[in-house]
Amino acid sequence: MLKQALPQRAWTAIAIVAVIALALVPLLPGAVDSYAFSFLFFVFLYAIMAQGWNLVAGFGGQISLGNHAFFGLGAYTTAILWTGNYLWGSLYDSHPDIYYFDPVTMTLGGLVAAVAAIIIGLPLLSKLRGDYFALGTLGFGEIVKVMFINGGDFTGGAFGVVAPAGTFDTLLPHYLVGLGLMAGVGVAIRLLMRSRYGLALIAVRDDEMAASANGIDVLKVKVSAFAGSAFIAGVAGSLYTYYIFHVGPDSVFDLDWMLLPLMMTVVGGTGTLLGPILGALVMYAVFDLAKIVVPDYHPVISGLTIILAMLFLPKGLMRSFAGRARAA
Amino acid sequence: MANRLLEVNNLEVAYGDVGALWGVSIHVDPGTIVAIVGANGAGKTTLLKTVSGLLKPKRGEVFLNGVALAGKAPEAIAGMGIAHVPEGRGLFRQMTVLENLELGAFQPKVRKHFKQSLEKAYTLFPRLKERAGQKAGSLSGGEQQMLAIARATMSDPALLILDEPSLGLSPIVVQQMFSLIETLHKQGVTILLVEQNIHQALKVADYAFVLKTGELAMQGTGADLIADPEIQKAYMGVLEVQ
Amino acid sequence: MTLNIPPPDILLQLSLNGALGGAMYGVAAVGLSLVFGTMRLIFLAQGAMIILAAYFVRALFYGLGIDPFLSLLIVVPVGLGVGWLVYQGLFRRAAAEADRNISLLIAVGLMFLIQNLMTVVWGGNTAAVVTSYTASGIEILGVRTSFTRSMGFLIALAGTGLVVLFLRSTLVGKAVRAASEDMEAATLMGISPHRVNAIAFAIGIALAGAAGVAVATTFPFNPFAGFIFSLKALVALALGGIGNVAGALAGGIILGLIEAYVQYFISGGWTNAIAYGVFLAVLMFKPEGLFSRPYKKA
Ligand SMILES: Nc1ncnc2c1ncn2[C@@H]1O[C@H](COP(=O)(O)OP(=O)(O)OP(=O)(O)O)[C@@H](O)[C@H]1O
Ligand SMILES: [Mg+2]
Repeated sequence: MLKQALPQRAWTAIAIVAVIALALVPLLPGAVDSYAFSFLFFVFLYAIMAQGWNLVAGFGGQISLGNHAFFGLGAYTTAILWTGNYLWGSLYDSHPDIYYFDPVTMTLGGLVAAVAAIIIGLPLLSKLRGDYFALGTLGFGEIVKVMFINGGDFTGGAFGVVAPAGTFDTLLPHYLVGLGLMAGVGVAIRLLMRSRYGLALIAVRDDEMAASANGIDVLKVKVSAFAGSAFIAGVAGSLYTYYIFHVGPDSVFDLDWMLLPLMMTVVGGTGTLLGPILGALVMYAVFDLAKIVVPDYHPVISGLTIILAMLFLPKGLMRSFAGRARAA
Repeated sequence: MANRLLEVNNLEVAYGDVGALWGVSIHVDPGTIVAIVGANGAGKTTLLKTVSGLLKPKRGEVFLNGVALAGKAPEAIAGMGIAHVPEGRGLFRQMTVLENLELGAFQPKVRKHFKQSLEKAYTLFPRLKERAGQKAGSLSGGEQQMLAIARATMSDPALLILDEPSLGLSPIVVQQMFSLIETLHKQGVTILLVEQNIHQALKVADYAFVLKTGELAMQGTGADLIADPEIQKAYMGVLEVQ
Repeated sequence: MTLNIPPPDILLQLSLNGALGGAMYGVAAVGLSLVFGTMRLIFLAQGAMIILAAYFVRALFYGLGIDPFLSLLIVVPVGLGVGWLVYQGLFRRAAAEADRNISLLIAVGLMFLIQNLMTVVWGGNTAAVVTSYTASGIEILGVRTSFTRSMGFLIALAGTGLVVLFLRSTLVGKAVRAASEDMEAATLMGISPHRVNAIAFAIGIALAGAAGVAVATTFPFNPFAGFIFSLKALVALALGGIGNVAGALAGGIILGLIEAYVQYFISGGWTNAIAYGVFLAVLMFKPEGLFSRPYKKA
C-alpha cells in the first residue's frame, strides 16, 4: 500500500545489523573508555525517550508536553526504592549491587510513570482535545516537579535523592542495557503497530469520529497510548538514574527531557518507526559536535538547528530521504 | 463560448490518496443560475471548494472570465469576484451582524462602496438591519443563512456560490430562500447553486449538472432534467410518493 | 489547622501587589492569545522575547541613558517590526503546513536560540535596571506600593486597551478576529492568512516589548527567566479563555492574585503547583475560560 524507496524488509535488515554491530562495539580495544561510547549511551537514552513520545504523539496524534515528568518519575522511583531499600530487604546486604540495573526496579519506574499517566490521562483525554491536551500535560509536568520539591524527606526536597552506589567503573552495563532497551522498545512498538491495537491507534489519530463509529473505544486507545509512552519514559528515567545517581528536581524534571526527544522525533520523522532513532542520533551528534567545536555557543547552535530542520525538513528525515516509510 | 463566466475543465481532485472528483467539466454563463445536484458524497462541495481555491486540483483547470485560476490563493480568487457561501455558512459567530457584513466588503476594491452595498443588503434583508448589533451566532438558522448570503453579496460578486443554502431550514424558510435566490437572479447576479433539494433547485436553475460519485452523470436545462424519468427515479422518488 | 485571617490592610496589600504583578502575565498572555488565535500556535518563545526586550531596555538605559519608560517609544515599534520579520522569516512556510508541530518546534527553537544568545551576549547572571525611582513607592487606596509595579500595571492596561481598540474598531482588526474564528471563511472574504498572521505576530512581539519594559523596571531577570513567563502567560490565557484578548489580561491579574494569596497563606514553594492546578482545573471544567457566556438563542 505504501510506496517506499526501500522495502520494509531492507529497513528491518539494516536495523538488525546495526543493533548487532553496536552490541559488538565494546569488544573493540579501548572502545569502552572512549568518548564515543558515552556518546552512544546518550543516543540510546534519547532514542528511547523519542520512541516513547512518538508512540502517543506520532502514532496516536495526541501531543504530550509532559513526558519529562514521566522521565523524572521513573528516575525518582528508582532512586527512592534503592536508597530506602524498599524491594530486596536483607538480600541487599548480601548483594549490594542488587538494585543496579535491576529489572524489577526499572519496571516499577516505568509502572509508576504509567499509573501517573493513567490518572492524569483519563480526565485530560476524556475532556480535552488537541492543543488543550498539550497544555494540560505541560501544566501537569510543572505540578509534579513542585510536588517533588515539596516532598520532604521522602523526595529529598530541592536537593533530591542520591543513590547509594555513587560511582561506576565502566559504562559497559549502561551501554548494553541502553542498547537492549532501545532495540526492545523498537521491536515492541513495531509489533504493537501491527496488531489490532496499532490499527485502532492510527484510526483514532486519523479520524476520531470514524474510529468511534467503527466501535473503537477512543478514550481507552488514547489513554493506553499515553500510559505506554509514560512507561517508556519512566524506564528511560530509571536508566538515567544509574548514570547520574543524584536525582534532583531540576535535573530529571528538566524540560529538555521532553523538548529534545520531541525535536529528535520530528527531525527523524513523526509516526515512523525508525525516525525517532535516526533523529536522536543526528540531533545528538549535532549538539555534541557543537559542544566541542564552539563550546561557548553550542546551545545557540541547538536552537538554530531546530529552526533550520523545521524550515527545510518539516516532514523529517525518514520521509524526506527514505520515501514514505511509515511504520507497520 | 467566449463569454463563459466560469469554465471548469476535466477537474480531478483528491483528498490525500483518495479521489473525490474525476474529470468533471462544468460551465456557468453570465446572468444565469446553474445548479449542481447529486447525492451525499457525490463531490459537490469538493467541486465548489476547488473553484474558490480552497482545494488544489490534481488535474484540470478553472477559468473565470477566461483567466486561469490555477495556483491562485482563495483570497486572491475572492478578490477576482467569486463569493463563496460555504456549507455550514462560515459565519463569524462571535462577531456582530454588521461586522460580518463589513468583512464581506473587506476587499479594497469594494470597500469604498460599503455604504451603498450595506443599504442594498438591508433592503433585501430587513431582518438584518434590526439585528445589526447582535452576534451572528445568536441568530436563528434562517437568519444566519440570510446573513451568510447578504455578506457574500457585499462584494458585488461576479459569481455567487451557494453550497446547500437550504440545509437545516424549515420548509417555509426554504421557500423564502429560493425566492430570495430568484430575486438576486433578477438583479443580475450569477449564481452557482448546490442543493440537496433537487426539485426546487432544478426549478430555479437555467442549467444544471448532475454529479454521481465524483463524475458528471448528466447535464441539461433545469426543465429538461426535471422531466427526465431517470432523474425522477433516482433523486425525486420521495417527492412522487408524497 | 486554623486559618489566620489577616487584617484588612494586609489583605488589600496582598491583592494590590498580586494584581499589579499579574498584569504582566496578562500582557504576555494577550500576545499569546493573538498568535494562538490566528495560527493555532502556542508561541512558547513569548517569554524569551520579553526577557530579550528587558535586556534591550537595560542596554538603552545603561548605554544611552534612555529612561526605561521612555524607551517604550523605541521598544514597541521595534517589536512590531521584529514580529513581522519573525513571522515572514520563520513561520510563514510552517503556517501553511497542516502539521502544527512544525510551528511549535520552530517556536521552541527560537526560544533556545534567544535564551542562549542572551547568555552569550550578556552572561548568565541576573541583571537589573536600577533607576533613581526604582525603590520609590506610591500610595494607592491607602496602601503603599512600588512605583515601578504600578507603572507596569498601567503599561499592561494601556497595551491591552490599544489592542482591543484595534481589534474592535478597525477593519483590519476585525479581519484578525474573523481569521481567529474561522480562517477558511476569512480567506473567502479575501483576507490573506499570511497578512493576519503577520499582524498577530507583530502585535504579539510589540506587547512582549512593552512587557519587557515592565519586567526590566520591576524584577531582576536572567536569560532563562522567560520560559516560566511563557508558562504563566499560558495559565493566564486559559483562565481568560483562549482567544479572548481582554480576558487574557484579566486571567493574568487573577493568576497574580492566586499567587499572592498562596504565597501568604500556604507557602512560596507551592505557588507554581497551585497555579498549574488551577490551570488544569480550568482546562477541564471550563475550557472556554472563566469569562465566557454561552449563547442565548434568539
Ligand atoms: N476533508 C476531507 N477528507 C477526506 N475526504 C473527504 C473530505 N471531504 C470530503 N471527502 C470525501 O470526498 C467525497 C466528496 O465529498 P463532498 O463533501 O464533496 O460531497 P458532497 O457532494 O458535498 O456531499 P454532501 O451532499 O453530503 O455535502 C466524499 O466521499 C467525502 O467522503
Ligand atoms: Mg457538500
